[in-house]
Amino acid sequence: MSDAGLEYVLEMVGISKSFPGVHALDKVTLRVKPGMVHALMGENGAGKSTLMKCLFGIYREDEGEIILKGSRSKFHSAKDALEAGVSMIHQELSNVPERSVSENIWLGREPLRRIGILKFLDHRKMHDDTSVLMKSLDMDINSSERMGGLSISKQQACEIAKAVSYDASVVVMDEPSSSLTETETAHLFKIIRNLTAKGVAVIYISHKMSEIFQIADEVSIMRDGKMIGTHPVADIDEDALIKLMVGRDNTHRFPPVESRIGELRLQVKGLCSSNPRSFRNVNFELRRGEILGIGGLVGAQRTELVVSIFGLRQVSAGEILVDGERVLVRSPRDAIAKGIALITEDRRGSGIFPLLSVTINTAVASLGSYLNVARFLEHRKIEAESQKLNEALRTKTPSMATQIQNLSGGNQQKVLVSRWLMTMPDILIMDEPTRGIDVGAKYEIYSIMADLARNGKSIIMVSSEMPELIGMSHRVMVLCAGRHTGTLEKSEATQESIMRLATQFE
Amino acid sequence: MAAKTAAGTIEPKKGLRAFISKNTNLVTFVSLAILLGLLTRGRSFEWPSVRNLMIAESVRAFAALGVGMIIITRGIDLSIGYVVCLVASVAASFAQTSDYTAALYAGRDFPLWLPFLAGIITGGLFGLLNGVLVAYGRLPAFIATLGTMSVARGFQLIYTKAAVVGSLKDSYKTISQGSLGPIPNLALYVAAACVVIWVLLRHTKRGTNFYAIGGNAMAARVSGINVERETVAVYTYAGILYGIAGCLLAGRLGLANALTANGMELDAIAAVTVGGVSQTGGVGTMSGMVIGVLTLGIINYGMTYLGVDSYYQLLVKGFIIIAAVYFDMKKYARRS
Repeated sequence: MSDAGLEYVLEMVGISKSFPGVHALDKVTLRVKPGMVHALMGENGAGKSTLMKCLFGIYREDEGEIILKGSRSKFHSAKDALEAGVSMIHQELSNVPERSVSENIWLGREPLRRIGILKFLDHRKMHDDTSVLMKSLDMDINSSERMGGLSISKQQACEIAKAVSYDASVVVMDEPSSSLTETETAHLFKIIRNLTAKGVAVIYISHKMSEIFQIADEVSIMRDGKMIGTHPVADIDEDALIKLMVGRDNTHRFPPVESRIGELRLQVKGLCSSNPRSFRNVNFELRRGEILGIGGLVGAQRTELVVSIFGLRQVSAGEILVDGERVLVRSPRDAIAKGIALITEDRRGSGIFPLLSVTINTAVASLGSYLNVARFLEHRKIEAESQKLNEALRTKTPSMATQIQNLSGGNQQKVLVSRWLMTMPDILIMDEPTRGIDVGAKYEIYSIMADLARNGKSIIMVSSEMPELIGMSHRVMVLCAGRHTGTLEKSEATQESIMRLATQFE
Repeated sequence: MAAKTAAGTIEPKKGLRAFISKNTNLVTFVSLAILLGLLTRGRSFEWPSVRNLMIAESVRAFAALGVGMIIITRGIDLSIGYVVCLVASVAASFAQTSDYTAALYAGRDFPLWLPFLAGIITGGLFGLLNGVLVAYGRLPAFIATLGTMSVARGFQLIYTKAAVVGSLKDSYKTISQGSLGPIPNLALYVAAACVVIWVLLRHTKRGTNFYAIGGNAMAARVSGINVERETVAVYTYAGILYGIAGCLLAGRLGLANALTANGMELDAIAAVTVGGVSQTGGVGTMSGMVIGVLTLGIINYGMTYLGVDSYYQLLVKGFIIIAAVYFDMKKYARRS
C-alpha cells in the first residue's frame, strides 16, 4: 500500500451506539497502524462485534467518525467497505460451496468478454487472475476446485485471498482459528505475516491468549461497551490482560439465594455430543435446591450441552441419571416426563408462540394433565392455573387472552417460566435467562430463581454474564471449546478464575 | 383480574374499529351479502337462492375445513382437487346400478355403505401419504402434495380407464340430493362436520397442538409436542374430509369423471384465506373457514347473476386469492 506516510490506516474515533435500554458502545476509539496485527479482546458482550458492525455499516453509529487512510469514510454495507479496502473474515464462512474457487473470489464482479452486443463470463481471465493471486500469497490452492470440497482452513485462505484481491488495507478476522487445527493455525499465521509484510493491517478478534502473544503487535481491550486501553503486546502479560478484560465492580445486585442443598437430583456422566465439534466427556451433578451456573465463552458449547440433556440433540456416549436412575432422553417429551424443563436462549425462535394468547403460551407444555374423562380440554382449570402462575411471577399483561407478542421481553420470559412451572419440574434448565430484558425485570427473574431453589427445585443456569454467574450460582461449571475445564465453588468463583478456565484452550 | 396492565404494553383497541379489524371476514361477508341483496332487489335473500348457495358450496366446505386445518399448522395441500376426483370416481364405481352394462363392476350390486367406506379410506390414505412425506420425509408440503396430486390423477384415469362413471343408484344420489324439510341434506352434513372440527380445534389437546406447531414449530418441539405425529394427523384428517367431499359430490352430480372437482384446491385455499386463516400459521377458526366459503359462494353467485362470463369469474377468483394473501401478509408479517 502506498499510504506509508500515515501513522494510522484506520481510525474509529468516539464511536457511540445505543439500543433501547442498552449503551452498547460508549465513545470507543480504536486506531490501527498499517502492517500490524491489532488484537481486539473482551468478554462476551463487551462490544467488539457491535464496533465491527458499525465499521461495516451494518449498524449506524449514534456519534463518532471513521477515518480510513486519512479521509472520513462512511460505509453503508459490507460491499461498500470491501470496495474501500476494508474486509472481514467471518467466523462462519460465507462462500458458495457448489461453485469453484475462482468463481467465489470474483463473485459479483466477474470479468466479462464482449462479443458483439452480448457479454460472456471470461473464465480464462478469472482462472489466471486467481492463480496469480494465490501465488502472491504463497497459497497452494487450485482455482478450479469446488469450494465446498476444500478443508475449512483452505476455504478461509480463499476468503483472505478474496480480501486481498479487493486491494484491502484493513482485514478484520473474527475468531479465525476457532475451527482450525494447530498446523492449520500455524499456516494461517504465515498468511497473516504475509499480509502485514505487504502493509495490510489486520484486526484480530480472539479469546485465545496464546495466539494473541504469538501473532499480535498491539492489543486493545474492551469492556462493557468502553475501550479500556491499547497496549503493545510486548508490554503486557496474560494476568494483566485478564484483569483488564473483567475488572469491573459488581454493580448488579442479586437477591440472596437461601436454599437448603439436598440429595442428588441429576448426574451426568461422560456425556459426548454426537457432533464431534461439540462437547465431549462432560461430567457433573446437581443437587436438590442447588443453582449450578454454566459459564464459558461463545463457542464453549454450553447451549449444545443443555439442549442435549433435554433430548433436542443426539448424544454419542455417556449417561444421564435422574434421582439415581438411569434415563434415556431421546426427545423433549422424555425429558418433560422425567421432570426436566428447558427455557431456551432464543425466546423468539424457540420459546414463544407470538400470535397465541398468554394462556396458551403458558399451558402448551402441560395440556395432557388438563383433560376430562372425554379427553377434552378443561379450559376453566387451564385458565385458572395459568393465571395463578403468572400472577405469582407478577407477569404484567393486559389480559390472559392478549397475544404474547404484545408483552415486553421480561414479561414474555416470565410467561415462559410459568409454562415450565406448570409442568411441575424438579430440574429447571435456564439458558441465558435474562438475555435482552431490562435491569428491573432481571432482578425479578433472579428473585424467582432464588424462590424456586428455596422450594427445592434444582436449577441449571447457562449464562454469558459473569456477575450473574457469580451472584446466583452455588457452583459454576466452566466449559471451553466443548471441554469441561473446571468447576468452581461459590467461594472460588471470581471473574478472573472463570475467565481463566474459559480460555483454557488445548 | 389481578394481572395488571403495564405501561408500555399494547392496550386492546376498543369500539367499532376494533370489531371490524377482529372480524374482517364476517364484515366482508355481510357487506357483500347486502350488496348482492340490493343488486338482486332482495331475490338473493329468498329461500330458493339461499338453498342453492348451500348446495353449491357444501362440498367445497369439506375441502376448506380440511385444508384450513393444514394451513393452521403452516402447511399447504395442492392435491385436493384430484384426490376428491379420485374419491368421487371410486365411490361412484361402487354405486352404479346393477343393470348398467357399462358399469365398472357390471352386474354387481354393492351395499350402500361400501362407496362411502371405499371413498373415505381412499381420501384418508392420500392424506396419510401427504402427512408422512411432509413430517418424516421432510419434503416441502408444496412439492409433496404437488406430487401426490399427480399420483391421484393417474390413479383416477387408470381406475376409470378415462371413462365417465355414471348411472348411479337413486338411493345413493338421494343421500346427497335429498332434504330434511326445507334444508338440503348436504347443509346438514356440513353442519355436523363443523361441530366436529370446532370441538377438535377448540376443545382437544391435538387442536391446540395444531395452533402451536403453526405458530412456532421449534417452540412446539421444545414444549414436548410430537410435531411429526401431529403433522401426519392433520393431513390425514384433511384426507378424510376430502373423502367425504368426494362421496357426496359423486352423489350430487350423479356421476364422476376426470374433470370432477378440478381446481377445488384453489377454491378451498382461497376460501379459508378470505376467512382469516393466515398463511403465517397458527391463526384461524372453524367459523372463519365457513364464512370464507360462503363469501366466495356469494361472489360466484353474484357474478353469475350479473351475467359475468365464467372465464372472467376465474380471473376474479385469482385476484381475490392474491389480494386476500396480500392483506394477510401485511397484517401478520413478522416484525424483524
